[in-house]
Amino acid sequence: MSTLHVVFKVAGAEYAIPASEVMQMESFTSATPVPGAPTHVAGLMQVRGRVVPVVDARARFGLPPVDRTLDSRVVVGQLGSRTVGLLVDSAREVMKLAPEQLQPPPPMVAEQAQGFVKAVAQVGPRLVMLIDFSRVIGEEKAHGG
Amino acid sequence: MSVDLADFLPAYLTEVEELLSAANAQLLALETAARQRSASPRTVRELFRALHTIKGLSAMVDVEPIVSIAHWMETALRHADQAGGRLPEASVEPMMEGLRAIEQRVRQLATGAHVSEAPRELLERLEALEGTGRGHPGQQGTSAMLQLEPALATKLSASDQEQLLAGIASGRRALRMDYVPSAERAAQGLTINTVRERVGHLAEIVKVVPMAGATPGGGNLTFALLLLTGAEDSVLLEAVGGPPATVQSIVEPSLPETTPISDLLAEPLAPNEEGAVVEPRRSNVLRVEVTRLDDALERLAALVVSRSKLARAVKELTDAGVQTRELVQVLHENARQLRDLRASILHLRMVRVRDVLDRLPLLIRGLRRSTGKLVRLELDVGEAELDKAVADRLLPAIVHLVRNAVDHALESPQERRAAGKPEEGVVRLACHARSSARLELTVSDDGRGVDAAAAAARAGVPVPASSTELLELLCRPGLSTRVSASATSGRGMGMDIVKRITVDQLGGELSLDTKPGQGTTFSLGVPLTITIVDAFVFECAALRYAVAVSAVEEIIEVDAASLVRPPSLANGGVALVERRGQAVPLVPLERLLQRESGREGPGPKAFVVRQRGTPVAFAVDKLLGQQEIVLRTLEDPLVQVPGVAGATDLGDGQPTLVLDLPSLGAARGGASRMEYVPQKGGVA
Repeated sequence: MSTLHVVFKVAGAEYAIPASEVMQMESFTSATPVPGAPTHVAGLMQVRGRVVPVVDARARFGLPPVDRTLDSRVVVGQLGSRTVGLLVDSAREVMKLAPEQLQPPPPMVAEQAQGFVKAVAQVGPRLVMLIDFSRVIGEEKAHGG
Repeated sequence: MSVDLADFLPAYLTEVEELLSAANAQLLALETAARQRSASPRTVRELFRALHTIKGLSAMVDVEPIVSIAHWMETALRHADQAGGRLPEASVEPMMEGLRAIEQRVRQLATGAHVSEAPRELLERLEALEGTGRGHPGQQGTSAMLQLEPALATKLSASDQEQLLAGIASGRRALRMDYVPSAERAAQGLTINTVRERVGHLAEIVKVVPMAGATPGGGNLTFALLLLTGAEDSVLLEAVGGPPATVQSIVEPSLPETTPISDLLAEPLAPNEEGAVVEPRRSNVLRVEVTRLDDALERLAALVVSRSKLARAVKELTDAGVQTRELVQVLHENARQLRDLRASILHLRMVRVRDVLDRLPLLIRGLRRSTGKLVRLELDVGEAELDKAVADRLLPAIVHLVRNAVDHALESPQERRAAGKPEEGVVRLACHARSSARLELTVSDDGRGVDAAAAAARAGVPVPASSTELLELLCRPGLSTRVSASATSGRGMGMDIVKRITVDQLGGELSLDTKPGQGTTFSLGVPLTITIVDAFVFECAALRYAVAVSAVEEIIEVDAASLVRPPSLANGGVALVERRGQAVPLVPLERLLQRESGREGPGPKAFVVRQRGTPVAFAVDKLLGQQEIVLRTLEDPLVQVPGVAGATDLGDGQPTLVLDLPSLGAARGGASRMEYVPQKGGVA
């Protein structure tokens, strides 16, 4: 059975996350920096009255930072009791992906992607990487203390 | 469980928990009395009453295991009452286990787990407690006098029936009232809870039995309330909203209801004998679920946020030259009203410290048994109150300190005798409000004191020179003051937990005072409430932040010309500033916030806070004002960092960090930590 996925872009590459894990999408204006938080945490944002941390996908994927544009989006994901945002370059598309479209990532990719990529989907001429949201967000505690 | 019963569950849990904690205290009192071979008829009856109510309530939610345990405990108490209010010492332990078994099942019920059967062995032991007694008075002939349909009769225990008979004997009427719950009734505010409450004012409720089966209104549940009362049927019916509720006598017609039949009861029943005990509770106390209070607080929080938006809008108008005098006046009045409202709501959430600590005697009792040490608990907490949210977090820290005191600090009776101390050690808990916003709680013992040298040796560090340093050492994760972990204190569950709760979670303070051979006192200073905070809002490196007013000792002007810079430090490092004849380290806050200020030297204003008892000044750019903020703690591990107490919304939709300056300085001070240690000696 095919399921709905939210597709977003980071540095030209396309990624997908199951829509069921996405609480909502927000445009990005700014995040309040939190001193001592892991470097991939862009800061705090208020989403529907809740204060949630925002993870910068570029920083997380080891990509150079860019200036945020009007296209920048925060994909707000729900992971158990945690609500965390993922800051991406753009997110405009929703697509259905069937299990048979999903292939395990080639070993080299898997290794390089630190386990962030769960599967790769061939959609026509495009390659979409299915991310492991919980890995991307990370369990790491803030350092310091 | 049917839907109707599930609705009743929260109220059931609250009430039974309260009764259980009362029962625990009463049983402890009985144990003391038993040891001193004195009688305490009143406590026996109170405990009987508590168990009886637990039994009745549990029958209502149909938890048979609790009913059985409570029943046999009740029976044992009945005999204790007949013995003039003496509970044999040997009975205390099984009774304790009984309470424990009930508690366990109540917890299972609360978590939605399957309620385990009553342990056979325990029931047998409880049952055996009555062996010394005299059997069941009045049991013969019971069925001859109470007229009950079989389905109902089987739900009544012997003691319920005895209670009914005793009531009849004392001249009251025994009635069965049937109440049929329905959506319509619920809409009128009538549920089994309100019915219980209302009827409770008019009659003694012996038991409430849920009965399945078709009802007149098309439902399938009826509550049969068995009552003893002097009230008229019509009055009772009116109290429950009239038909389809019904009232009928349950006394066999052949016996005139008013005939005293006391001769059928060899012994008058304890709880019914004393008017004061039987009288239905008519207190002015209202039980409210905490979630509802939180809801009210949440709304108040929204109000505070919109008020600050309003204030900003008015300020913009004023700045634009608009005449806003009246508007500002209204705004001020509004601020005062908000403060009052906040105070009222917060007051609703206050619980008495004494009530929070009511489990400690039980903890001490357990420790006395497990350690073989003699120890007495002294509570001196007066009428102090604490926000429920704070109390709930604080309790584990207190429990931990008390455990440590008995486990590690107190010596064995032999050691104490050898040291010329009374054999019985004392653990003392005291508290007093230090200001309108803080409560200080102390846990003291008269034990051996903390062995600083031993603790240092274990951690492989030099012996701490001050109690502050010693406390820091003790609070290192995993440091245990004993080589072998004891059963109760465990290994690795050290003082770090106490510190984390008191300092990190609650934003409070922890201090230590210990004297070898004489004892140790831990002091915990905690805010009375943690939800809404009076805060200073300021700017530092182009961002706004807030800091709790209660954490700030003083705000000072920084005169760059009079700063003393230790030569070894680079620009932007720690400087010294003079404050009332004392040199205070001055830290540019942006450095701790990992931000660039773009200016030379520290900012022109500074907050003076106490960090490990020593004043430290944090320089900022601009003070923006003082206001009440709603503190939201940050739950996600990604952003739980020391020094950040939480976030707040100042009205711009962006989270503003609420800083905890003392811990920020301590956690991120780095090299600066060393700079102000010498200060301690220099303080006049």
